Amino acid sequence: MNRQELQTIITAETAINIYNKYKHKLCVCCGAGCISSGAEDVLKKLEEEIKTRGLENEVEVIATGCMGPCNQGPLIKYLPDHTIYQKVDCSNIKAIVQSQLIEKKPIEDLLLFADSRPKPFIDAREDPYFKKQMKIALKDCGHINPEKIEDYLANDGYQAFDKVLFQMSPEDVIAEIKQSRLRGRGGAGYPTGLKWETVYKYVSKQKYVICNGDEGDPGAFMDRSVLEGNPHRVLEGMCIAAYAVGANKGYVYIRGEYPLAIKRIELAIKQAKKLGLLGTNILGTDFSFDVEVRIGAGAFVCGEETALIASIEGKRGTPKPRPPFPAESGLWGKPTLINNVETFASIVPVINNGGEWYSEIGTPKSAGTKIFALAGKINYSGLIEVPMGTTLREIVFDIGGGIQGGGEFKAAQTGGPSGGCIPAEHLDVKMDYESLISLGSIMGSGGLIVMDKSSDMVDVARYFMEFCMDESCGKCVPCRVGTKMMHDLLQKICNDKGTTIDLERLEELAVYVKECSLCGLGASAPNPLLSTLRHFRNEYENRITE
Amino acid sequence: MPKIAVTIDDKKLDVDAGKTILEICRENGIEILTMCHLKGLTDVGACRLCLVEIEGINKLLSACTTKIAANMVIKTQTEKIKRYQNITCELFYAERNHVCSVCVANGKCDLQKLGYKTEMDHIRYPYLFPQCNVDTSHAWYVLDHNRCIMCTRCVRVCAEVEGAHNWNVMNRGNKVRIISDFDTPWGESETCTSCGKCVHACPTGAIWPKAIVQGQLEKKPEMITELIEKRKMNL
Repeated sequence: MNRQELQTIITAETAINIYNKYKHKLCVCCGAGCISSGAEDVLKKLEEEIKTRGLENEVEVIATGCMGPCNQGPLIKYLPDHTIYQKVDCSNIKAIVQSQLIEKKPIEDLLLFADSRPKPFIDAREDPYFKKQMKIALKDCGHINPEKIEDYLANDGYQAFDKVLFQMSPEDVIAEIKQSRLRGRGGAGYPTGLKWETVYKYVSKQKYVICNGDEGDPGAFMDRSVLEGNPHRVLEGMCIAAYAVGANKGYVYIRGEYPLAIKRIELAIKQAKKLGLLGTNILGTDFSFDVEVRIGAGAFVCGEETALIASIEGKRGTPKPRPPFPAESGLWGKPTLINNVETFASIVPVINNGGEWYSEIGTPKSAGTKIFALAGKINYSGLIEVPMGTTLREIVFDIGGGIQGGGEFKAAQTGGPSGGCIPAEHLDVKMDYESLISLGSIMGSGGLIVMDKSSDMVDVARYFMEFCMDESCGKCVPCRVGTKMMHDLLQKICNDKGTTIDLERLEELAVYVKECSLCGLGASAPNPLLSTLRHFRNEYENRITE
Repeated sequence: MPKIAVTIDDKKLDVDAGKTILEICRENGIEILTMCHLKGLTDVGACRLCLVEIEGINKLLSACTTKIAANMVIKTQTEKIKRYQNITCELFYAERNHVCSVCVANGKCDLQKLGYKTEMDHIRYPYLFPQCNVDTSHAWYVLDHNRCIMCTRCVRVCAEVEGAHNWNVMNRGNKVRIISDFDTPWGESETCTSCGKCVHACPTGAIWPKAIVQGQLEKKPEMITELIEKRKMNL
């Protein structure tokens, strides 16, 4: 297919017409959270009900990706009004169809947050939960059908790729990404433009682009939701990256625990190939790019880039010392670009709206938006996307609706097993890379676990240490033995048998493991311990016997 | 080979470009402790004993895997590095069941030598005492997991020099074990050629020939290095 034929598909004939064919849309959230609370039954029942009433030519029922407020699910969103119904079960379906579609008035009792807000909003976008958010990476997530490329095309899909192919040189693309000041969303926050430029500069006939979807932090589900909700966005980001760095082969590495994400990205690849958006001589140009999916077998360490590369090569997933970095010698020794799912999902808006536009969102050093997975003792847990620099207080209280049962906030854990705990006195910290590091935590991939007074911080540290101990690959001594020793010492303190000497040993080991480990897993494993020691030292000391 | 200027432990040196920091140090008589390194085999940077400080780089890098670069200022003997080497050594001893007095490698063991070099007088961490098997199924050799430090020198020598790929690593974290084939007894291995290279590559008393008793073990890892270098010359 050439460029003109694609334009025809997008504009005149199929995509937009199909997308706008229906006056009403009922979107049923089929993110993993809603599915586990029964969304699939709701979807089936809703489709039956629409058929029984003979509305199938007026109303489209769409199974969408995640809408956000996961613990209020299953969710149904009515478009064009953006009315969201929460905690829907099969017995509500008849009433919703009758009232929303026939009588044209929403059911107040079923509206989103109807049970916790004095007056719920008919247009959910007015609710503070959504008002404080800014959806860029998740823009189309929750109202397009992730299994139909036409839906994506009708929402400006692959326009950025088209622009890049026909109007920009690889240098232009890299300059645009650099100008956006986008930083890697996988955790470390390395400037994306710089990474692309490094790979671009290495001369090689064969280069690779890898999308890291091995999201392994307990409590994190950002990448899964992006892949499930809008797989084409990630794919388009990869295509743009491949064009910029000069790669002709890509891999999406997804953990095996995400079957729905795997299914959807595989389908997306198939659809894109069919339209000639992947393959040889894409849209008649001399650019060729192909993508394959690789499935991880459930090792946390395979999220580390060199271990991930080893895993794609079919080897044991263990990291290698860097340098050499993958940009120089990555997959099968070739220059390789690895970015996280969320990073790739942020590329398209940067190209469409320009780097300058993106760089003005967020804070000067951390531009753009970040997706967080809110979990723990919070009223509205789920998936949110906020501009960088939003304070923790805004996230926990304005968006998250405060602590469950009116309890008191104690700490927020960010960055999963590589991150740390932020205590109540730092509730006004701006959520950006530097501010979190200065508090001994990290942004990480975006897991955010809120804890109330019932949480024991020593036990929190012990839990994360146990996770790292189990997930250590066992290659280097500090991580293999050090995490085991630290875990045992923490367990001893949890059992009220710890001594001041144990605490000293623990602190010494923490610094040793942090500085000596081979890869990021070991180097960040002591973070939860060090940050709880820093902010909640009294809890350790109270449990120690002389 | 072009020469570059570097500074190691305050000494200014003109050295060959393209070599690793470890190679350069050894050539210039600067001692660097290692356990997983065996000259000629691919370096993996696993034991973390050879970590060095490099000016301008905010983390410690393993000398065996880092290529030397012009104007590098390297420190190999700082207080911090010595402290970390001591901890690594103690963790080796605490991890498995290293009882020198009844070990075939007593007096000939690299781990034992490491203990002397780091002047270890006691171990501050609790011994883990894991349950480890001893595989005596092979006709000539023994694999004793109690003494294994997971340096993977046997894995690499078997794959890279002998080409048999008998050895591999199973499990993860502190449950890692060296395995023969797909975790079959060594004596039943379909790939082992009984060449004995792993016996000489092993730095401790983990792999040894049956014909000897306590303290008699002679290992010649330099033989492997020589073999690799001679093969390169033939090519």
